[in-house]
Amino acid sequence: MSKFLGPLDLDGRVPPQQQTRVSAFLISAHGALGRRFALSLPMRLESAWQTELNAQLYNEVEIVSLMMRATSWAPDLALGYLAASWEIAWFPGPTEGLSDHALAAAVDVATLAHAVHAGIRPAALLPVEANANDPFVMALRRVEFESGRLLQAQIMFLKGDSLVPFRDGVSAVLERRHLQVRKLWREMLQSLGIADGTEIEAKP
Amino acid sequence: MAFLAHGPYRIRYELDGPSGAPAYVLVNGLTQYAELWTAYRDALIGRGFRVATFDLLGQGESDKPTLFISQDDQVAALHLLICELGDGPVFLSGISFGGLIALRYATAHGQRLSGLVPMSCFAELPPQLFLLGNALRAGLILGGTSYLQDLLLSMNVSDAWLAPVLDRLDAVKRQGWLVNDMYALQNLMESFLEFKPLTQQLPAIGIPTMILNGEFDFLTPRALHDTLRIQIPNSSLVIIPRAYHAFTLEKPALTADLLARFADDVLAERWQGNKAVWIAPEEAGGDLVPFPDGYDHLRAIPVRRATP
Repeated sequence: MSKFLGPLDLDGRVPPQQQTRVSAFLISAHGALGRRFALSLPMRLESAWQTELNAQLYNEVEIVSLMMRATSWAPDLALGYLAASWEIAWFPGPTEGLSDHALAAAVDVATLAHAVHAGIRPAALLPVEANANDPFVMALRRVEFESGRLLQAQIMFLKGDSLVPFRDGVSAVLERRHLQVRKLWREMLQSLGIADGTEIEAKP
Repeated sequence: MAFLAHGPYRIRYELDGPSGAPAYVLVNGLTQYAELWTAYRDALIGRGFRVATFDLLGQGESDKPTLFISQDDQVAALHLLICELGDGPVFLSGISFGGLIALRYATAHGQRLSGLVPMSCFAELPPQLFLLGNALRAGLILGGTSYLQDLLLSMNVSDAWLAPVLDRLDAVKRQGWLVNDMYALQNLMESFLEFKPLTQQLPAIGIPTMILNGEFDFLTPRALHDTLRIQIPNSSLVIIPRAYHAFTLEKPALTADLLARFADDVLAERWQGNKAVWIAPEEAGGDLVPFPDGYDHLRAIPVRRATP
């Protein structure tokens, strides 16, 4: 099983079937984050952190828009089932030990965003021969690069002073989210004949 | 691929060479991974050693804790690996961040070691290194792993090493970029946010210690290595000519030879640290020469040492 997308065509492009499924996953995950951020934002910003949330929302929208336009889509009969399973996975999860519901909700969305931004590395799927001028290739690189920047908001929040008393619980929730998101990512890649060499659970 | 369990996390490691032989344990620098020691593994096995390499927590194929990685956990993981080696002599060496972990290990479990080789290493964070570390972390955050690699490569290896690979630098960086995740590197760097100087604990390191420092290392300059030399009783400082911070990448034959000679000297009870300062040869197998008597080894120009 290859670690990379391909085989590439003569122009160094990723096969449309692979583009379709990878894009669908990224659109589902980043779209879910966008929806969660949108629901958290008031019409009028009242705090500094809401400014960052606003930026996060529109960055997620940009990623969704980019993948929709940069992908060479191909018919994929399995996509309906896969997309439904992904969407269910993005639902809010339990955050044990946090009795403050607002804080628990913020931790939940931040852990999901951390798992997506940190754990999903689409550019690492590209073989060296991939055409740097192909829009899909460029889009995967951009999604990974922007995810690294977006991640900083989650790191600052999850490592921040307000969560110091709940450090172990937050770390446990985050580890669980990472495992969940990576499992879905790995399974999607395996369905395309790609082994994600970074996956924790694949180790002996 | 073998793994050790540290709590919920797994540490990927590899043991090579004869099981009854004296062992060398090699600890990676920040953005490194175990395969970068391949030349050392081959050279040291050829000299009769067993070699243990591994990925630190947060690196390569080891697990990557999502939010926090403490340096205490790195020491605990290293201890697990050293426990795998049985009761024979163990020599521990690490580069940069890995050198710091090796130093921490020696202060906590020095009795288990026969010798220590910190390379491009430090026991404290003076203002220059603190600010450089912060700038590198900001570079990682703003520009990603690839940009951090660009900064480290340009600072830490010589023109002579860079020139032949300049047109294929992306290929040189690719494996490190693939196996190291940005958030994990950030966690490793942020393990310094709670850093406390080790200087006062260094005199407790009673084992033979050879400190290696590149002549032109400006990330961790000579004064930081000299702190180790002054504080560790049975130590010597060896300056690697024409070398920068990452001389283990640039001069593997020379460095592996120095490691083997140090261990041989210790095992033959020939080693005497004497807090001496030496200059390594340009090539493997050459003679080490004492730093010229009366001159200040902390200066970059030949200045006579002040008489106390």
